[in-house]
Amino acid sequence: MFLKLAWLNIWRNKRRTLITTASVFFAVLLAIATRSMTDGVYENMIHNVVSYSSGYLQIHQKGFWDEQSIDNTFEADEKLSQILLNNPDVEHIMPRLETFALASYLEKTKGVLILGIDPEKEKEVNNLHEKISQGKYIETINDNAVVIGEGLATQLKLKANDTLVLLGQGYHASSAAGKYRVTGIIKLGSPELNNNIVYMPIQQAQYLHGAENRLTAISIMLNKSSSLDKLKTTLQMDLDTDTYEIMSWKEMMPEMDQFITADSTGHYIIIGILYFIISFGLFGTLLMMTFERSREFGILIAIGMRKRLLAIILLLESLMISLIGCLAGVFGGFLVVLWFTKYPIYFTGELKEVYENYGIEPIIYFSNNQNIFIVQTLIVLMLSVILAIYPGLKVIKMKPIEAINS
Amino acid sequence: MAKTIIDAHNVSKVYNPKTVPVHAVQNVHVHIEEGEFVALVGPSGSGKSTLLNMIGGLDEPTTGNVIIDGVEITSLPENKLIDFRLHNIGFVFQSFNLIPVLTAKENVGFVLQLQNMSKNEREKRVMQLLNEVGLEDKVNSKPGELSGGQQQRVAVARALASKPKIILADEPTANLDSKSAGNLLDIMAKLNKEEKITFLFSTHDMRVIKKARRVITLVDGKIDSDVEQIPT
Repeated sequence: MFLKLAWLNIWRNKRRTLITTASVFFAVLLAIATRSMTDGVYENMIHNVVSYSSGYLQIHQKGFWDEQSIDNTFEADEKLSQILLNNPDVEHIMPRLETFALASYLEKTKGVLILGIDPEKEKEVNNLHEKISQGKYIETINDNAVVIGEGLATQLKLKANDTLVLLGQGYHASSAAGKYRVTGIIKLGSPELNNNIVYMPIQQAQYLHGAENRLTAISIMLNKSSSLDKLKTTLQMDLDTDTYEIMSWKEMMPEMDQFITADSTGHYIIIGILYFIISFGLFGTLLMMTFERSREFGILIAIGMRKRLLAIILLLESLMISLIGCLAGVFGGFLVVLWFTKYPIYFTGELKEVYENYGIEPIIYFSNNQNIFIVQTLIVLMLSVILAIYPGLKVIKMKPIEAINS
Repeated sequence: MAKTIIDAHNVSKVYNPKTVPVHAVQNVHVHIEEGEFVALVGPSGSGKSTLLNMIGGLDEPTTGNVIIDGVEITSLPENKLIDFRLHNIGFVFQSFNLIPVLTAKENVGFVLQLQNMSKNEREKRVMQLLNEVGLEDKVNSKPGELSGGQQQRVAVARALASKPKIILADEPTANLDSKSAGNLLDIMAKLNKEEKITFLFSTHDMRVIKKARRVITLVDGKIDSDVEQIPT
């Protein structure tokens, strides 16, 4: 009956309750939409960067990250590949040989990042072939051809089917020099990669550096980005950490991680302010519900109701008002997120160009991570409990006769 | 010899003792036996309600003590006092004071719910009580759908629900018309007679005073007279 009483009590003043629940509804809806959008943008940003460069996790020869030399490579090992592929959190592994070299075309020379890749696997993981803006993608693992970033091509004044000369240091101080046909020019989201990258079939890269069957890294793509830390811990147990080092993208690209953390903090502050404002509305409603029933509370205490039970009923009322707004907000938020995950926002026209010039995909993705919904619900529940403390204390301190005579 | 049910001993109540002291009740001794039907009368401000509230454990006396059925309620801790009221004292207030969102049946059953009575027993008891006060056809009506007299009868049923030893009523007929007041008094007198429930009510309604078998008159916070009479 106490649950029923709390439920009936909140509808004594329907308009007030509806206004309060509506404020909770809009706050939750906005918070979910905002969080979903920012998380979606971050997830996409991370996915773009990691799939074109590091992967979510990388396995290196121990010490490689501190001294990124071709001499700190390791031999491609079938057993290692099997351990990684047998892990359910691993979606793909991509062997890579990553070095720095000088690239030259006619009179122009520039320092570049050579990324030896398995073209078929990259195609599967990051649709690299779809980013080709001129020419075509690398056909086989030993094709004597490279694909270079659009920015680099502009700087070197080079077109598809021109020949690029690469000069660098090979394995064990040998020299690495070769001429390669530029089969295609690729347009990547990240300006840094766009201006420096040279994709090369991995066997050609190994041959160029005199490092047959050697890799600088195995990049790992995950089924779910949220399983990053779990997978890292598992691999640290499964692999010989005296031989290999396992690094996440956060360790390899701390500046991006810091940017996301800083940007997220801004969003958390905005959502915090939003909840702070609706808290006042909810608190006002609870206070009014308490004070306008002081006399009734006095009577209830007089006829034998313990004050603690009365405070619990107030808490239930607070929870009910919040939950109605919150669940409606979660449902509304779910529909919004469902719509935008299916139909992301594509920028067009000048806005699209602005985004692309900054190396950002002109698409706003939404994340459907269930944690977004759970967290917002928990925040509202926590708020409603905290806000019910003061009216509850008022009831606990209430003197029945003063309340009856109020 | 009848058992003493209410024993207010040397009870005083002073409001604002440090600023402008108001002596609402002064050194009052009230001794009521089980089954009595007592009217507490006096002009406005004479201390009737204050004395009634102290006897009901709703207000603390400044000095003196109140013993109900052998328990000194003035020294009980708060929760024990609330529980004591729940099981031993029924209240009827001037303005009915029912829970507006609950039906008559639920209002009466509320006290029984506080006593953790099972649903079946509760239903039975509630129906019996509403029957006794003549509201068997209004069980599902909310207070807003009942007349003042009907609401006060629900309040009486609620006060009786926990089978209390005493019922304290503060001006129970003040907001009722003559017919409703008459009905209510008949019910209270019947319950007093048949179930031996002790009634103490503050009033300056002559209809109520005439029904009482004992009339205690308060003037300026002191007992002016305490007389027994034959009810009419």
